[in-house]
Amino acid sequence: MSIEPMRLFFKEIKEPVVTSMIGNYAVAGAVTQTDPDVICAFPITPQTQAVEGLSDVVNQGRLKAAFVNVESELAAISYSTAACAVGARTFTATASQGYLLMTEALPMAVGWRVPLTMMISARAFNSPNLSIWNSWEYTQTNSELGWNTIVSENVQETYDAAILAVMISDNSLFPTMFVHDGFIISHSVQKLTLIPDEIVRKLTPRKPRHTINTKHPGTWGGIVTPSFFMEGRKNIDEAKEPVLGIMKKSFEEFGKATGRNYSMIETYNLDNSTRTAFITMGSMCGNIVSWMTKNKDIGLIKIRTFRPFPYEELQRIVEEYNIEKLIILEKSDSLNGMLPPFSMTIASALYPLKTLFRSFIVGLGGRDVTRDEFDVAKKKMAQVSDMKGKLYMYLGVREKKDKLYGVED
Amino acid sequence: MLTPEKIKEVLKDNTINLRFHARGGQGGVTASNLCVEAFYGYGICQPRFGAERMGSPTESYVRLSANANLIRSNEQVYSPHFVSVLDPSLLGEIDVTAGLPKGGWLIVNTTLDQISIQETVKRKDINVATIDATRIALDVLGRNITNTIILGALIRVSYIFTLDELADAIMRRFVGQIAGKNIEAIKQAIEETCVYDIGVDPDFTIDNKVRWQQVDLDLPGYKELDLAGVWYCDEEVIPVGSDQVNTGSWGEWDVIWDEEKCTDCAQCWYICPDFAIVRKKGDDGLWHMAGIDSFHCKSCLNCLEICPVDAIDKRLKQGPAACAVPEDQEGGN
Repeated sequence: MSIEPMRLFFKEIKEPVVTSMIGNYAVAGAVTQTDPDVICAFPITPQTQAVEGLSDVVNQGRLKAAFVNVESELAAISYSTAACAVGARTFTATASQGYLLMTEALPMAVGWRVPLTMMISARAFNSPNLSIWNSWEYTQTNSELGWNTIVSENVQETYDAAILAVMISDNSLFPTMFVHDGFIISHSVQKLTLIPDEIVRKLTPRKPRHTINTKHPGTWGGIVTPSFFMEGRKNIDEAKEPVLGIMKKSFEEFGKATGRNYSMIETYNLDNSTRTAFITMGSMCGNIVSWMTKNKDIGLIKIRTFRPFPYEELQRIVEEYNIEKLIILEKSDSLNGMLPPFSMTIASALYPLKTLFRSFIVGLGGRDVTRDEFDVAKKKMAQVSDMKGKLYMYLGVREKKDKLYGVED
Repeated sequence: MLTPEKIKEVLKDNTINLRFHARGGQGGVTASNLCVEAFYGYGICQPRFGAERMGSPTESYVRLSANANLIRSNEQVYSPHFVSVLDPSLLGEIDVTAGLPKGGWLIVNTTLDQISIQETVKRKDINVATIDATRIALDVLGRNITNTIILGALIRVSYIFTLDELADAIMRRFVGQIAGKNIEAIKQAIEETCVYDIGVDPDFTIDNKVRWQQVDLDLPGYKELDLAGVWYCDEEVIPVGSDQVNTGSWGEWDVIWDEEKCTDCAQCWYICPDFAIVRKKGDDGLWHMAGIDSFHCKSCLNCLEICPVDAIDKRLKQGPAACAVPEDQEGGN
């Protein structure tokens, strides 16, 4: 059957089009619209169609970009960083082990201040077994390297994020990754509205910036002695300070142009009777919103920008709505005996407010997260009145055959 | 009896869930995509996540509602109201009525009658619709692709969307002549669907999901796993190992071995990707070819190609398992 998933993007999109696509193709479409000069990525499940889709558009002639095949993810990120440093608008994409293989080169994209964009189709790291399914690998290890990180709940959001990432990268001169949950969003067909090309062009204009060039030669990434390194780091840190403001402004500009208004943190039903809210990111937020149609005594805080983390905004929300308890749900663990990575972020952000919380590790390696998890987490949280003992637990895991861990009923 | 008005009313505050059973390559996912595109309200479609291979059993899910908040969930569909089976050979292999409530609809591409279908799936409390989609596909499309045709049967019993709405979606998705032919086939399917209504409608307000079913409680727990996560070959700790997957059902051919012609050269044994060539140690202490393991043979035909003495032959699977059509029959019936 002759289906060309990227067909809509083969010609100029003149007005908003309602269509339905999987998350990966939607991203490929949005990236096409941002008119990149270089696309360089290595295929890995569940990211593959995003790059395949782009190769289709380049091959068809619609996109005049260099589509570069490389031998690994380390090569992909190295090539992409360098291409971006010489002035090309550059896109790459990866997941899981590919993201780990990129690790060596990830900090330099930040250090060189290149506005690179990268899609992550979130997938588990392999340990102790291989899994191609969804976990939040992007919240682990590499999340502290300085990349801006936006997390999307559904196909529309991930399509929009591909455009927002270019805006945020160009305006902040920091690389930006945008994340959707592997398979759950990358391979699900949902309806979405495409933005006309003209609007995307206006949102993502080319801006003059520092580049590697022959007129002004220099050594990029050369060695420095202890008399310089720390100044270099402080320089980056200070440059990071306005990034949240830049993200906020980009969201506003995007909202004005498209009618879809995003915030760094979105809230649902926080004015509830139990003064309790879930806090999480990504596709699970949708599951909770649906579940909340029958559970009106609880709220939801959805984090859209994970790095830099909008901690003041979160504090303001928790104070304004007088939230007493937070149920943190996350699809990653840390094995540090303390807290998993997303929860550590929330705990640090809320330390001054002393908000009660518990962290639930759910949905690792693609396990479905359903109303069962939400019901139990809510019930368990109702019993919590202090911050003593272990603050996290795995939920939805078999202890023994026919016995669920930590759930009595 | 469902009516268009009743379905519209249901969709206001409930979801209607669909599940499609097919084999890799038959277009089950495309069928579910088309449902989302044809439906006037909000919809989401997910394949069962994993690696799909040609001929392997696949599932895809659709959730539809006029209420946007109900469709925001990315949970998989556990409780479908309408189940469509594109390949009748799946009836004996997969529990196609899992989660289907009393009064739910089972739509099957088959020439069998209602009683046989009910007996095969062991459910008498469900409605059944049958359609000989394979014949329509061969007649109209000239190829055994039944994924759009089964949607005709779905329109006939569900009223979730109309023929016009589906035709629109198909025109957007398919290029050229193929779109028109598919629409023609769907029209024929709507007329030819045999409907066996037991007089009970599904209760759309109840969700049949079994608590914690996503956790597969019948499998070993974390305390029972090996310390390094190793799946040792000599233990039966993990009951879902790949050697227990019936890859034999994926293929379209029966592979036949001729003992007379075979010279025991073992080239087929080396080339078989699934260890489906069986050898046994003879009285002479040497290994001899002993047959083909049809539970695992997915009929890639590598053995047939490599055999130097034509000792391996193929035969199209008979009956409902013949899910694909050999090239020399394409376009005919």
